[in-house]
Amino acid sequence: MSTRDHDGIKETVRSFILSSITITDWDDDADLFESGIVNSLFAVQLMTFVEKTFGIEVGMDDLDMANFKSLNATTAFVLKKNGRRGG
Amino acid sequence: MVDRHEEFKAFVARHVAPFAEQWDRDQSIPDSVIAKVAQCGYLGSSLPSEYDGQGWDVVTFGLLNEAFGRGSSALTGVLTVQAMVSMALLKWGTVEQKRAWLPPLAKGEMIGAFALTEPGAGSAMQSLVTEFTQNGGGLILNGSKKWISCGQFAAVFLVFGTLGQRSVACVVPRNTPGLQIEPITDLMGFRAAGLAQLHFHDVEVPSANLVGKPGFALSHVAPVGLHYGRISTACSALGLLRGCFEESITHAAIRKIGDKTVGDMGMVRSLIARMGTDLEAGSSLCRNACRAEDDHLPAAFEKTLMAKYFTSRAAVRAASDAVQIRGASGCHGSSPVSRYYRDAKIMEIIEGTTQIHEDILGKIFVDQAGRFGTLTRSD
Repeated sequence: MSTRDHDGIKETVRSFILSSITITDWDDDADLFESGIVNSLFAVQLMTFVEKTFGIEVGMDDLDMANFKSLNATTAFVLKKNGRRGG
Repeated sequence: MVDRHEEFKAFVARHVAPFAEQWDRDQSIPDSVIAKVAQCGYLGSSLPSEYDGQGWDVVTFGLLNEAFGRGSSALTGVLTVQAMVSMALLKWGTVEQKRAWLPPLAKGEMIGAFALTEPGAGSAMQSLVTEFTQNGGGLILNGSKKWISCGQFAAVFLVFGTLGQRSVACVVPRNTPGLQIEPITDLMGFRAAGLAQLHFHDVEVPSANLVGKPGFALSHVAPVGLHYGRISTACSALGLLRGCFEESITHAAIRKIGDKTVGDMGMVRSLIARMGTDLEAGSSLCRNACRAEDDHLPAAFEKTLMAKYFTSRAAVRAASDAVQIRGASGCHGSSPVSRYYRDAKIMEIIEGTTQIHEDILGKIFVDQAGRFGTLTRSD
């Protein structure tokens, strides 16, 4: 997976998160849920966005807040799922 | 996808609407009616064909619920809860769970119930006290659930509780020893929806019945079920609103007061104008929500909240106005509008109260300020 893929996924996820929160500046590793940047209902929306946008399915085995807790974590999760699908 | 709305409306006109008042009085829906609904595949409308469902899109599911909502809110409640349980299992169940539970749910051989609400935890889901504890390789369940739709006749329950500090969801069959089911009667509306209180006393369930991973029941499993519950309820309320509208315009057109009809009165026209406009607006909101879900858009969540928020409140207004237009006859059980009036209020309570919807939607809208680029870092 190239750096361009990584950066493209990250900016796509960032745009989605930005569209749903009131702050514009946060750390890419900040825990979105623990910090209260988003509410718990956002978890399902973020999951749905990732499934729709990147054509992957989030299943029971992927149920781990570590996969979605931050911008960087979500990006890494998408890359991992895409890699698994491709490989 | 074929537009099946005419088929659904014909089914309701023949098998539902003529009997809904009697079911309401009896506080019960005959098993034969639910069997007929099942035969038509309506209880598995949203499940894929690999699990014996119809695989219909969500727009069609919405039309089904709207048609049924026009005839009987209580019977529509069976569609609602079946979808809530089925879709939560479809999304988060294991392969084994799906193979075991989804085909009988899809075919209506088994009715499911969504056991989330507790005597002390309605809107506050985080306050659940129903408790699972480890017992060797299995689980022991203790606690109680209240206001569980279809609880009187469901064969399987999706029960939410805690396991240690983590929220869990677990499939519990009706015939499990230690599960006591107590019917709840004399409700204001939804009187035939078979509500029950469930009591769990040292109920043993296999760990394999847990749905989703521990810790994700309230954040991921319940929201999938509740989302489908809201789609169903939004469209059911739309159907009730349509019933109020059709009853009202018919009465207004034919009922004479002196040499004029009720519909000649400006004040009645005002009520009907609001009803008809709400019907059109509610239809648009429901279609938009269903289409968004079909497209798997994240916005489906808020569109569904808006649809349910709007149609449930509009249904309450319309039912009140429909009774007003009918006058004394609207206050009698021989007129469906008196049942609509009682059922409509329930729509504002189930799958999230109006106030919970306002709280969530208000926050969603405020948070969208970022979309418009009006915020700066100093904000």
